[in-house]
Amino acid sequence: MIAASNQPGGPAPPIAEPSANLVIRSLEKSFGGITALSDCSFEVRAGSITALIGPNGSGKTTLFNCVTGFYRPERGEVRFGGALLARLRPNEVVHLGIARTFQITRIFKNMTVLENMIVPIRQIGLRTLFTAGIKGPERERAEALLEFFGIAFLRNEPAGRLSFGQQKLLELAAALMAEPKLLMLDEPAGGLNPVMIDRLTAYIRELNVGGMTFLIIEHNMGFVMELCEPVIVIHRGRVIAEGSPAEVRANPAVLDAYLGD
Amino acid sequence: MRIDQRLRRRWPWAALALFAVVPLAMPEGFYLDLLMFTFMYAAMAVGWDIMGGYAGYVSLGHVGFFGLGSYAAALLLVHLGLPVFMTAPLVGLMASLLGAGLGFISLRTRGPAFVIVTLTFTYVAQLLMLDLKSVTGGSQGIFLPLLDLPANLVIVPFYYAMLALLVIAILVSIAIRRSKFGLGLIAIREDEGKAEASGVNTSLYKILAFAISVWFAGTAGALHAQYLNYVDPDLAFELIITLNLIIMSLFGSRGIVWGPVLGAFVIYPLSAYLIFLLPSRLAGQLHLVALGVVLVLVVMFLPDGVLRTYMAWRKKGPKDYGSVEAQASMAEAPG
Repeated sequence: MIAASNQPGGPAPPIAEPSANLVIRSLEKSFGGITALSDCSFEVRAGSITALIGPNGSGKTTLFNCVTGFYRPERGEVRFGGALLARLRPNEVVHLGIARTFQITRIFKNMTVLENMIVPIRQIGLRTLFTAGIKGPERERAEALLEFFGIAFLRNEPAGRLSFGQQKLLELAAALMAEPKLLMLDEPAGGLNPVMIDRLTAYIRELNVGGMTFLIIEHNMGFVMELCEPVIVIHRGRVIAEGSPAEVRANPAVLDAYLGD
Repeated sequence: MRIDQRLRRRWPWAALALFAVVPLAMPEGFYLDLLMFTFMYAAMAVGWDIMGGYAGYVSLGHVGFFGLGSYAAALLLVHLGLPVFMTAPLVGLMASLLGAGLGFISLRTRGPAFVIVTLTFTYVAQLLMLDLKSVTGGSQGIFLPLLDLPANLVIVPFYYAMLALLVIAILVSIAIRRSKFGLGLIAIREDEGKAEASGVNTSLYKILAFAISVWFAGTAGALHAQYLNYVDPDLAFELIITLNLIIMSLFGSRGIVWGPVLGAFVIYPLSAYLIFLLPSRLAGQLHLVALGVVLVLVVMFLPDGVLRTYMAWRKKGPKDYGSVEAQASMAEAPG
């Protein structure tokens, strides 16, 4: 469960890069007088599919933004493996192995599907930067991912022409091009029909079996209960419950948060 | 379809061959001068478009680099005796370094800061050249030694130099459009936050793009100084030069390799003809008015520019989009 560190004389390093725990400690963020996160602490274990739920305005997306470098938290720290994230820029967070999607799908609408796949960049090197963009192993990987998500036949379409569901899959596929160890999804099932949700669930499971860690914000409780373990509930910017789906469902504080005062 | 494609790939080479022999046919006069300036503007507009079209960051400072390029080349020639044809690319590099510095200050944030900083930069550069009298001669400017050529042939090397600059600009622009770097720039234009979330180092990309972009302005400025054998603060920093680049790019289509080229080849000859037609007392002002009118018309009726509008019109209906390679190359670009 703890990120494997390759000590000399220890076991041979695994083939895939070891994932790491995401540790969030006492995070605080406010906008003007409104406190979005206050003393928010939890951990995302490597290899888990962790859900982050809570009523609207509870601070879930703010937390995502603090982790991925879009916001600077006022206090607290975010660690991934050995790295401190709180002062990094979004692209640097990606380079550490954390990719994300957005609540409102963000893709490059005027670029083709395949071009959308080539934009993400994990490592920066001048040589890779200035040779032809769409070619070689990278192109093969992009094609394979598009096949995996069943949208390869759209590769040369402008991304803006895709249906809503296809755009969500494209955003997910493109995020995977950055080879993340931890993938943070903001409402991946939002607006998808039940068939699409089943497919998405299967995709996430398969990727997770391959070693990828997930942190997922979602309002679709069926999706969360089926896929995620553990479930973390935040309310007014702090964690109020954490545990298996069954435990969380049985927790009165959670019901209170959703229905109460 | 196939013949059509082959034509599309080859016409630039045909045009290049044609332009290469023009001076042999008529080595002097109005048309050579006209073509040379068209090449110069086209090269600078293609350069401008790398920043303004691909990355979507409008620079109002290109003439600043043009002017400083003029001065740098003039000073290198007058004080060190280095011929401009030799120093021009290096002067361009100096412009790039300066551009990187300016970018470092103004491109780490998003939004309009860049526009303001580049415009301010132009005025600061002009003021410096005006006030550093001991170096630049102030408003009197600097006279450059004449080239040792018969007067009627003096334009020929400039003609070829500007043509070469244009070819380089087009090749660089195509290479960028095809590269991962170019995709990153377009991603920045489309959604900068998302580009960052995709791992694109947006500040670095923008700074790099701007440095490449102003190389052409600096190099052109150097050549231009020697062509006129003279540089002064008014001539070197005419804001109209930047405006020309923008109008050419907008007219031809931003963010497409051939857009600014088309724009330059239409706008420059038109405005030169206008200046030629009008009484010289009015030409300066009226020509500005005409440029303004063109800008307004383009923004109102052709917001995507001629080339993009034409491509969209041709693509209408259930047509395939062609391979991505074809889109990345030559005139085809998504959007």
